[in-house]
Amino acid sequence: MASEEPRASDALRTLEELPAGSEVEIIRASGGTFRGFLVPRTRGEVGATIHLKLASGYNIGLHIAPQDVVRILATPPALGPNRVAPTRPRAGGNGEWVALLTTGGTIASRIDYRTGGVRPVQDEDELLTFYPHLDQGGPVRVIPIFDRLSEEILPGDWLELARRVAQTFQDGARGVVVAHGTDTLAFTAAALSYALPSLPGPVVLVGAQRSPDRPSSDGSSNLGAATELARTGNLGEVVVVMHRGLSDSAFAIHRGTRVRKMHSTRRDAFETRNGAPLGVIDEHGIHLAHEARTRSAGAVRLDDRLDERGALVWFYPGLAPERVEHSLEGVRGVILAGTGLGHVARGHHGWIRRAIDRGVFVGMTTQCLAGIADPYVYTTGRELGALGVTYLQDILPETAYVKLLFALGRSHHGDEVRRFLLEDVVGEFEPRHPVGRSL
Amino acid sequence: VKVGLEVHQQLAVGKLFCDCPSQLSEEVREVLVRRLRPTGGENLTVDPAVAFEAARGHLFQYEVTDSDCLVEADEEPPHAINPEALRVALTVSALLHARPLDEIVVMRKIVIDGSNTSGFQRTALIAVDGTIEVEGKQYSIPSVCLEEDAARKIGEKEGEVRYRLDRLGIPLVEIATGPEITEGPEARAVAEEIGAVLRATRKVRRGIGTIREDLNVSTPGGTRIEIKGVQELRLIQKYVEQEEIRQKFLLAIRDRVRERSSELPSETGVNLTSLLSAITSGPLRELGSRGHAALGLRLPGFRGLLGGPVREGERLGRELADYARSQGLKGLLHSDELPGYGIEGPLLERVNLALACGPEDGFVLLAAPSLDRGQVALEKVRLRVVAAREGIPAETRDPLPDGRTRYSRPLPGRDRMYPETDVPTIRPALGGPGPEQLPELPRVARERIARTCALNPEVVSQIIRQDALEPFEALVSRGFPAPAVARLLAQDVTEGSVGLPEPVRELRFEELEAVLQGLGRGQFAKEGVPKIIHAMLEHGSSVEAAAARVGLAPLSREELERLTEALLDANAALLQERGERAVSALMGDLMQQVRGRRDGREVAQVLEAGVRRRTAVPPT
Repeated sequence: MASEEPRASDALRTLEELPAGSEVEIIRASGGTFRGFLVPRTRGEVGATIHLKLASGYNIGLHIAPQDVVRILATPPALGPNRVAPTRPRAGGNGEWVALLTTGGTIASRIDYRTGGVRPVQDEDELLTFYPHLDQGGPVRVIPIFDRLSEEILPGDWLELARRVAQTFQDGARGVVVAHGTDTLAFTAAALSYALPSLPGPVVLVGAQRSPDRPSSDGSSNLGAATELARTGNLGEVVVVMHRGLSDSAFAIHRGTRVRKMHSTRRDAFETRNGAPLGVIDEHGIHLAHEARTRSAGAVRLDDRLDERGALVWFYPGLAPERVEHSLEGVRGVILAGTGLGHVARGHHGWIRRAIDRGVFVGMTTQCLAGIADPYVYTTGRELGALGVTYLQDILPETAYVKLLFALGRSHHGDEVRRFLLEDVVGEFEPRHPVGRSL
Repeated sequence: VKVGLEVHQQLAVGKLFCDCPSQLSEEVREVLVRRLRPTGGENLTVDPAVAFEAARGHLFQYEVTDSDCLVEADEEPPHAINPEALRVALTVSALLHARPLDEIVVMRKIVIDGSNTSGFQRTALIAVDGTIEVEGKQYSIPSVCLEEDAARKIGEKEGEVRYRLDRLGIPLVEIATGPEITEGPEARAVAEEIGAVLRATRKVRRGIGTIREDLNVSTPGGTRIEIKGVQELRLIQKYVEQEEIRQKFLLAIRDRVRERSSELPSETGVNLTSLLSAITSGPLRELGSRGHAALGLRLPGFRGLLGGPVREGERLGRELADYARSQGLKGLLHSDELPGYGIEGPLLERVNLALACGPEDGFVLLAAPSLDRGQVALEKVRLRVVAAREGIPAETRDPLPDGRTRYSRPLPGRDRMYPETDVPTIRPALGGPGPEQLPELPRVARERIARTCALNPEVVSQIIRQDALEPFEALVSRGFPAPAVARLLAQDVTEGSVGLPEPVRELRFEELEAVLQGLGRGQFAKEGVPKIIHAMLEHGSSVEAAAARVGLAPLSREELERLTEALLDANAALLQERGERAVSALMGDLMQQVRGRRDGREVAQVLEAGVRRRTAVPPT
């Protein structure tokens, strides 16, 4: 009597149709009874596995067999909504306020039990549940801009962000904090540096290497330091503020064009290359180097001309010249991250010559990420220089790429593009490299 | 009384979520400073135990050593779960007849007392519904968990706690029993048997602090209390008995105060800071000039119930002081201990007046570095007083060496658990041992060996407790007599280790063999073995060198006879007087000279022969 046999999917289907948070009892044919709350299935789970949260707090995974019996004890979700309202009123918008522009990223993310990963917070209220002390030093206006992880941010987004920053200053903000994913935070910092050539206050990019749903998240203290700098720092440039070491007690201020994420997980992943950071925030306050630009007396200036037809090419042994040439179709400029002092294999001379002949700008940086690109030391460099490759000193490859897009946006003349790239616009070059500061 | 046990055993395999060794370290490389903030679980509800720790707002220092890496520093995501640790946990589960779950989900248990850099402990439920048999009775094992050990607390001072990262991440197997234990001695027996099952895997760490027990105690009409971190098995009984006394005592106070008054203490205390400067003696003397604030709270109906009668060291006043202490204060004073501490006469009258105390009302006084901190602490104390009218609050308590316990924090709930999404779920079916790979249960081994070797089961239990079953069986199989091997492993090694600095090294198999050979050849007697082992462990010497060092160089039969003759010569008068009965008087003297160097029975024979020879009636 096959039709009277429980169908393979009965118990499982019952469970799958229940909302997450339902309280169930599963009596297993193989022995054992489990009582708990249904937890949303997480990514990567397959087949007949369900997850339960037991009264003890533990989650467990059970394979549901056709003969298992499911009793539904309560259907209203025992797991509350994924977010709650802030528990206290926020400081008002009167007096000197700073703006917090959110773009997504770990600092504004929380764990998502459906996917098992972290996801961006949905709104301002949710953000404030994680950072209840955010406006301790004075009013903070939270302005959501995007809701995405930083690897999804595009050059067009840099401009949108720059316009919003400019608008925020026009609205009277003392300073602007931008919460951003750390992966491409340095690109955005460089872009804002070129798009906002004159600033009446600091633009502080900040991120977190640990999501805010963890008690140990660095987001809270990074955000505190960044907000303090935005409010009280006499600074008129775009900077990145993150942990200076592994302790929650000191924060480095990095110039937006000189900073790079140098570690995938450490709190102090961000480093100023080719020199010391622009400043430090610690228990004694804010310390800025003398070369830091102060708040401009005039209004904010925005220059959002940008042409996305630029490229960044990382040279490596075996990189096929024809593949590079093919990928560069339609491009107006390319930054090479060459080996050592700025070298690529001779096999690439062909496409480089043809590109330069077409009027494409070719700039050279070093993939060492510290030290200079210099064409004169080796024959290779001299040959590339002779082809018309522009050596870009100690600028970071990523910064050079961002700067190239702004250069292309500003001019159609090769000479002007080249001149802009060689010009020290916002402190992206460090002409002096003292002994003892290797990076 | 109903008692459930939680046994936590460190495993002697690498750390659970990284590739560091599971070893403590004394070398500190640098110190990190961190803060932790409360966060909620899936539904953002903050657990009471978590909120409690958050209120303390501590700064945490972490000592970095060679036994930790970026994972312990919370600077790198956890690596995949240590497969060997998982295998041990599954082996233990199988030995306890517990069913492994189809999928294991590693959870984050929020703990923000700083003992975990991440602010949570990673823990996973491995198996459920097991049993263990102890002395013929079955106990349920509702859960077997695998979790990370916490960082080692090094010290604490005002607002700062210092931890070392070496212990953080060492795998712990946690075994919980059901509440089926009814008395202290039983709790101890069950804990010991669980310890033996864990050691049967031969993958556990040994020594002080490597196994820890939590006790869940509830009494009829009382509440469940968790006593956390009982390290000494022999004290389990004491804690259970003391908790029973404490709960009965607190319930009696509840009944008394309910009879007297239905009034709850006021929600705010009275600022008594101005009184501080009037105190000219006692512990509170200088607090006024140091800018401290003082607060008082009237406790309606509590007069006489805070201090005495002192029953077995339990007082409600002490419980209240523990709550104040949990907020970083030194403690508090209550009405039943006054006059005293420099508060007496007119000053005490002023306190009574300021708090408007009636004849049956008690009060508490506390001093704090600031009014804010005092108010926070007083609020905790007030809630404890309100709870005293209801009965016994559910608490986590710290064990004290004298068998009493002290309030530590509220009992945590399920809101502090949420999934560790940095680690994928685990299917144990792929990592568990087959039935043929399981070690023998200690209970089964005990019966088998008692039978085959004709030994007292208690002696076999001792061998198992020493984790020496393997060398025992190997030595017996090499032909050494089982009683001699048992004595060596169950007693002599332990006795010989006494007084040596921890960790005491283990004797190698060849060394154990050499001791038994020396015994067999009569090079020294069994009485000398502990001393010889002590010297071997202390100096790393061979058996012969150790015996010589402790003056137990072998004594020849001739030397024994010569010593005996010399003794008889010196005691001629005694021999004359007592005849053959002089043997018992002289045996002690002779043993003093030869103990451990010849077998005692042989010494007696030689002495008896000598005495007989000298006292024999000469042929006429």
